[in-house]
Amino acid sequence: MNSRFFHYRKKITSMIMMSLTFAATLAAIVPLIFIFYYTISKGITYLNLDFFIAMPKPVGETGGGMANAIVGTLMLIGIGGAIGVPVGIMTGTYLSEFGNNKFGFMVRFLTDVLSGVPSIVVGVVAYTMVVLPMKHFSAIAGGIALGILMIPTITRTTEEMIKLVPHSLREAGLALGIPKWKTTLAIVIRSAWKGIATGVLLGLSRAAGETAPLLFTALGNRFWSTSIGQPIASLTVYIYDYAKSPFEDWNQQAWTAALVLILLISILSLVFRIITRSKYKTN
Amino acid sequence: MKEHFQGEIEELKSNLIRMASVVDDQVDKVITALETGNIDLCKGVKSRDMEVDAYDNLIQTQCENIIALFQPVATDLRLVMSAIMINNNIERCGDIAVNISQRVKKTGNERALIVESQIIDMARTSQTMLKNAIDSFIRNDTELASQVIANDETVDKMNKQIFSFLVAKMQSNPELIEACTHLVVMTRHLERMADHATNIAENLVFYVEAKIIAHRKKTERYVDSQEEKDKID
Amino acid sequence: MEIKLSIKNLDAYYGKNQVLKNISLDIPKNKVVAIIGPSGCGKSTFLRSLNRMHEVVGGTIKGEILLDGEDLTKTDPVLLRKRVGMVFQKPNPFPSMSIFNNVAAGLKLNGVRNKKQITPIVEKCLRQAALWEEVKNNLNDSGANISGGQQQRLCIARTLAVNPEVILMDEPASALDPISTTKIEDLIFELKKDYTIVIVTHNMQQAARVSDYTAFFYMGELIEFSDTKKMFTSPDKQQTEDYIRGRFG
Repeated sequence: MNSRFFHYRKKITSMIMMSLTFAATLAAIVPLIFIFYYTISKGITYLNLDFFIAMPKPVGETGGGMANAIVGTLMLIGIGGAIGVPVGIMTGTYLSEFGNNKFGFMVRFLTDVLSGVPSIVVGVVAYTMVVLPMKHFSAIAGGIALGILMIPTITRTTEEMIKLVPHSLREAGLALGIPKWKTTLAIVIRSAWKGIATGVLLGLSRAAGETAPLLFTALGNRFWSTSIGQPIASLTVYIYDYAKSPFEDWNQQAWTAALVLILLISILSLVFRIITRSKYKTN
Repeated sequence: MKEHFQGEIEELKSNLIRMASVVDDQVDKVITALETGNIDLCKGVKSRDMEVDAYDNLIQTQCENIIALFQPVATDLRLVMSAIMINNNIERCGDIAVNISQRVKKTGNERALIVESQIIDMARTSQTMLKNAIDSFIRNDTELASQVIANDETVDKMNKQIFSFLVAKMQSNPELIEACTHLVVMTRHLERMADHATNIAENLVFYVEAKIIAHRKKTERYVDSQEEKDKID
Repeated sequence: MEIKLSIKNLDAYYGKNQVLKNISLDIPKNKVVAIIGPSGCGKSTFLRSLNRMHEVVGGTIKGEILLDGEDLTKTDPVLLRKRVGMVFQKPNPFPSMSIFNNVAAGLKLNGVRNKKQITPIVEKCLRQAALWEEVKNNLNDSGANISGGQQQRLCIARTLAVNPEVILMDEPASALDPISTTKIEDLIFELKKDYTIVIVTHNMQQAARVSDYTAFFYMGELIEFSDTKKMFTSPDKQQTEDYIRGRFG
């Protein structure tokens, strides 16, 4: 009698918990679906070949595209990645393999602080450090700002992923007479590669979606430019500008720019998945 | 570890066979000496028994090591167990050969008595039993082993006949008492040798068929008598 | 009998905690020496000190360990570990590498690049580890996709590839099923023709089956070291007898 009661109680608890988790999942997924739905339905109107290859039209003329902004965003991510990815991966590796001391603790703490710093502050820093001495806005300044923003994400994911590599693999490498640095590089990092790539992707995606730090650094550009020393256009800044403009046409184009940004990140993510795909079937 | 263990088992077996062939040779020498009266054949039998004793110790140690190091089970376990028993029985046969050789020397002048007593027949039968028991072990031949076991009764009968003959002889010819006593002891030893051969055969059957057949008749009789008793009660 | 490793007055510590006390012991060439003893008796630390893997887990040692007469506590650990290889308790193949590359790892990462040179070594080592027949058709599969027993033999092949003189094994079969264990034990018996082997094992029967000599450790001390047959039939020390008879707390 008693055991039966407990049996039912267990069953009911289990059902309640399952419903709660399901509801939470739903709560997370519904806004996402709405965002996709709005972006796609509103952005699709202007999504044509012109948008990718044409330059923006002056105020009053309809049509045109954002070729300069797409290239600009890619360049900014490129520059940011060139700075943030190596620094992040190396810092993460240091922290997990050699960072069991006060210095490591400090670095870890600072990285956490950095990840909490509002992105606009990072923009101000890049402005002070790069824009003021150069006396003008530039792609490189924007890239540096984005690079700094990537570092904490990449560092912490790298550290966590490398920590997940079993200690036994390090021992196996060392026991074969392989020096520690080579063991770390060829065995440990290689085993954690998939996870590290995910961290890099997260960092890059986050940087690609940043607007605030770019306002003080890369500024934006209505013309074609691929020079890293000059101001450069970016999708996010265009979205910001066009969305708050009074022109219906520009508002529409902002939606399209948002859609393109999402597409860009999806493609990036897909490419990463393909590159880091395991060579082996896993059981 | 299979190969290593198998190697140890093979070595144990071949040592047993080597020891058995030495004993077989010893027994053949003393019985031929008994048959032909050529007591020179008995020379060296006693000293060669040391070889048998050395094998006895070696096989005992080998069995101990195999049990301690490999914990054999099933067939392997029965082999080691029967090896210990067979080793013991063969060693005893070696001792018997030595004892008989002493008595052959001492009865060398009593050819007529020896021939008349038919002890040679008994000796040859016992020897054949031992030989067959060893062969059955070498070849894992349970049929040959059962033959050996069946022969035991023949030897027992011969033993009784020869014993009565020798007792009668002693009563009628007191000057033959010493020689006859030697022969009585000899028949007793030959009977023992047949028993050892039977034991070896029984152990072979135990090893191959995992059946304990020793004392079967006696135990069956005991069980029957118990049942009889139960009925009466 | 040639002595391969000679350990003299070895003490080992983790921090201030002394785990080995004055161990002296000679390991003969081309023999299998088994180290037995209850958990925490220092047997793994002893094994690790023989190729200085104790340093990886933060241990320190005092005393002498002579490898062919040369004190290995004073040599470069990286060079030492090429001469004294190690196989671990849990099979640990590199999961990001193929079976072939697992065996080749020690060569490639030590600077051997010529594939013509590597391929025959890989085949030889896989054969020595009695694994070749089972994997020869899928050398490019992941080293982590084979059974546990095969993985352990792969790890042995990997160790053989750098051509060590001594192989240390830390409970190499404790994570394996009985059939795989038998295979590993057979392998150890084969390997001693070419290598000197020191094996730590929890399994006394295993020590009895595979080794020529056995050392019994208790509470960081070497209680008894002798011929395995003697050890398991008539040990000198009461403590050893109690332990092998299983009469030990």
